[in-house]
Amino acid sequence: MIPHVRGHTVRSGVVLGLVLNLTLLLGGCQGDTSFPSRPITFICPWSAGGGTDQVARQIASQLEQRLGVPVNVINATGGGGVTGHTRGALARSDGYTITMVTAEINMLHWRGLTNITWRDYRPLMQVNQDNAAVFVRDDAPWDSMKELEKAVLKKPGKLTASGTAFGGVWHIALAGWLTEAGLPADALSWISMGGSAPSLQELMAGGIEVVSCSVPEAISLLEAGEIKCLGVMAENRLEDLPDVPTLQEQGYDWTGKTWRGIAVPEGTPDDRFQVLLDALRDVVESKEYKQFLEQSGFGYAARGPEAFRTALKKENQAYGEIFNSEAFQQVKSQRYGPMLFPGLLGALGLLVVGTLVVRGQLLRPVKNAQPYTQRRLRRVASIFGAVLFYLLLAEVMGYVVTAAIVLAFLFWLLDVSWRTSLPLIVVLVPLTYQVFGGYLRVPLPWGWLGW
Amino acid sequence: MDGPILQAIVQVLTQPEVWLIIVSSALYGVFLGAVPGLTATMAVALFVPITYWLEPIPALAGIVTMAACAIFAGDVPTTLLRIPGTPASAAYVDDAYTYTQRGQSDRALGVALVGSVTGGLFGAVVLMLLGHQLANLAAFFSVAEYFWLYLLGLSSAVVVARGSTLRALFALLIGLFLSTVGLSEVHTEARFTFGMPQLYQGISFIPAMIGLFGLSEVLRNLLEPDLQRGIEEEGAGASAAEAVRSTVQRYLIDPVRSVFGPAFSQLGGRLHHALRSGTIGSVIGMLPGAGADIGSWVSMAVSKRVSSTPEAYGTDSLEGIADATTANNSALAGTWIPALVFGIPGDSITAIVIGVLLMKNVNPGPAIFEEQAVLVYSIYTIFFLANLVLLPVGWLAIKAGSWVVRVPRRVLLPVILLFCIIGSYAIKGSYFDVSVMLGMGVLGFLLERRNVPLGPVVLGIILGGPLEARFIQTLTGSGGSLLAFVNRPAAAVLAVLCFLLWVSTIVWNWQSSQEPA
Repeated sequence: MIPHVRGHTVRSGVVLGLVLNLTLLLGGCQGDTSFPSRPITFICPWSAGGGTDQVARQIASQLEQRLGVPVNVINATGGGGVTGHTRGALARSDGYTITMVTAEINMLHWRGLTNITWRDYRPLMQVNQDNAAVFVRDDAPWDSMKELEKAVLKKPGKLTASGTAFGGVWHIALAGWLTEAGLPADALSWISMGGSAPSLQELMAGGIEVVSCSVPEAISLLEAGEIKCLGVMAENRLEDLPDVPTLQEQGYDWTGKTWRGIAVPEGTPDDRFQVLLDALRDVVESKEYKQFLEQSGFGYAARGPEAFRTALKKENQAYGEIFNSEAFQQVKSQRYGPMLFPGLLGALGLLVVGTLVVRGQLLRPVKNAQPYTQRRLRRVASIFGAVLFYLLLAEVMGYVVTAAIVLAFLFWLLDVSWRTSLPLIVVLVPLTYQVFGGYLRVPLPWGWLGW
Repeated sequence: MDGPILQAIVQVLTQPEVWLIIVSSALYGVFLGAVPGLTATMAVALFVPITYWLEPIPALAGIVTMAACAIFAGDVPTTLLRIPGTPASAAYVDDAYTYTQRGQSDRALGVALVGSVTGGLFGAVVLMLLGHQLANLAAFFSVAEYFWLYLLGLSSAVVVARGSTLRALFALLIGLFLSTVGLSEVHTEARFTFGMPQLYQGISFIPAMIGLFGLSEVLRNLLEPDLQRGIEEEGAGASAAEAVRSTVQRYLIDPVRSVFGPAFSQLGGRLHHALRSGTIGSVIGMLPGAGADIGSWVSMAVSKRVSSTPEAYGTDSLEGIADATTANNSALAGTWIPALVFGIPGDSITAIVIGVLLMKNVNPGPAIFEEQAVLVYSIYTIFFLANLVLLPVGWLAIKAGSWVVRVPRRVLLPVILLFCIIGSYAIKGSYFDVSVMLGMGVLGFLLERRNVPLGPVVLGIILGGPLEARFIQTLTGSGGSLLAFVNRPAAAVLAVLCFLLWVSTIVWNWQSSQEPA
């Protein structure tokens, strides 16, 4: 099933392709005045299939209908959110790149992972909020947060907990509760895990005792009777779990939550900002979107630009206090540091390389390898150059022009006649552009030709 | 019990909408899987917005079918261009490509197709008969068990690689070392980033894989003196006199025979091998976070150990291709078990599935087998259908792909390069990934000239991160005691398996080095 692209006119064709390629160095047109007139890139800092991705794709498909151009979700994952948040902030502020910002934006810079803060963004709207809750195995001896607190107090640092990576949003939520209870933030020893799914798996396997994560992530296991919930970190009881008391009811003044919101790079012009905001507001207030959140188990929260900005600022300060607190500074230094594993690998590597060199297996090429000659080496270097050429110039000149030049150069290098290479270029370049850029939503650069 | 099963089968078979979706997602899945750099996950993610308007059964039918077809289709560029379409196919890339070089790509792909279908059907049976009970297996797997499982997968890569074990180990260490670049899952500080923010995310395995295999092959080809000809197909020179007969023969009978003939004769009498590989795939698949990649490698390693021609592995072993493809397709069904029973996704595809289920007001959990029995049996039925549809659709893909190898190489190479660029760029839309592809291409080229196998490098990059994470997690949890790695029964069993694999490899190597002397 080929996903259909709404409002995306197919302007390809061999004739047009021919014209485009013949006039490729004459520069292009960028005369469009209406916004938006080409696809919008929607950066999601988390992986495909996760909660943030699901929300992003729902909003993207609804935004498409309102803006009349494709909105392509790109999962710029990695570095605990650093990659996506950095890329979104540093993107061109022309309104064609929007970013799904998550609570981590206010943590990453305190952890020294990036210089990007919420101030690098111009916030559009907050679109969702989920509260944290504390889960233990169903057969665990504790039935309330107070009982858990006593158990922690009895053996500080013995019980283990997880829910996300070290210093992630659910870690801070749990550390906040411990601090509120007057315990050191590392009284529950935090095992750094990739997310809530592996943490819940580990909880069931008996590897850890406590999981702190959002309710929708754990609801299936909760309903299956495998785990129980000791308390939710929300202001009020949750609709999904009416029997579970909040932490405030249990005597701790603490709430823990994550949220998702959409922002554009700082400096995006007002008129474009307004177009995006109007469309987004329509989406967020639509019945369809609310229904999606409810059915998927996500919490609804809508904040406009000003309220979102204030919330970001306030939360950023709160996290700053937590991360700079003495209690957390102690936790921050991990016992098994980032160089332990590479160190072990290095030791093993030296051993293997040493043996290989001694046995003379590494330094000489295989017997049947083609020998290097100057002409062949030049060919190899040209491939290297061709890719570098693409890397440096694709963004400026656009995919169509750059790819055509790269192909033409390589065909020439390999002595392919023009009668073969020209038709190939004319067909192949527009075709790949249409298939990848159009149907498969790969954000290929359009550059000079504006296509 | 018969009620819901029958109801489900009738429901699936009688809805024209479901058939339409299955056939079109099969074509779509095959296409996306066959393009290097595009993955089954991407195929499914692009499909999600469409599921909003579909009933649950057609929606799931689409996802199941495109995933099954995309995993097989990954074997097409693997075999024809030596660019693994999916990490699972990296296990047998050298074996399959050897057949293309001999002009017998149909043969390798036919075996891969039949292997995939067998595996897929086997996985469906396991899902149907044991899904509910086997879900509890996940409860035995804490971080220590995962550590050994990943180590077992990595050791398998060393075992199946051609040539010297020491070189394979060297390759694996390069991969593992590359995987430590950037911010690990378990640490708060990044390493080896040299101040480049792009390196925080580490080396992504898709561009790395495209570079190591695809680009390095382009570079190697450029050293060949003669780039005029394509690879000649077997039996391509039919004489003009018997045109009519040979046309029928050539376009109707031969293609079918050339693809399926060797595949079936290869698989006939290998039933117990198929069963073994299917079981390995299903069991590994149902452990969240393990999946098809490890299944494929482990199955290949076991296959090599029991084979009568172990020296062919990593060069031109059809047995290896059959066993690995069987395992990776049966793993696909396995990943649905923890997703349906506990709502814990086994891989990124089932993570999307859980989202779709919730959206349709279906809550995964043990109760799903009672409350939504019809839906569950429908999923099983779809798994069967998807794998049956894969047979003709996969055959079409093989035939469509086989003209590619006839194109003269000097025309083909620039086009492959273009696809290497788009493929590495597609996954995240990142130019940095393109430069990773370029760097890995040069690395792969240099390593191959020194006879170092590339498969272990790829698996090292993929599993290095999880291996380190499990290692650090186990140590943190136990307060530094190494005993934590072996003091649970399941962990001890896996540790012994790893140990046996190493010892047998050392002994086997020692014996074979004695023989020629």
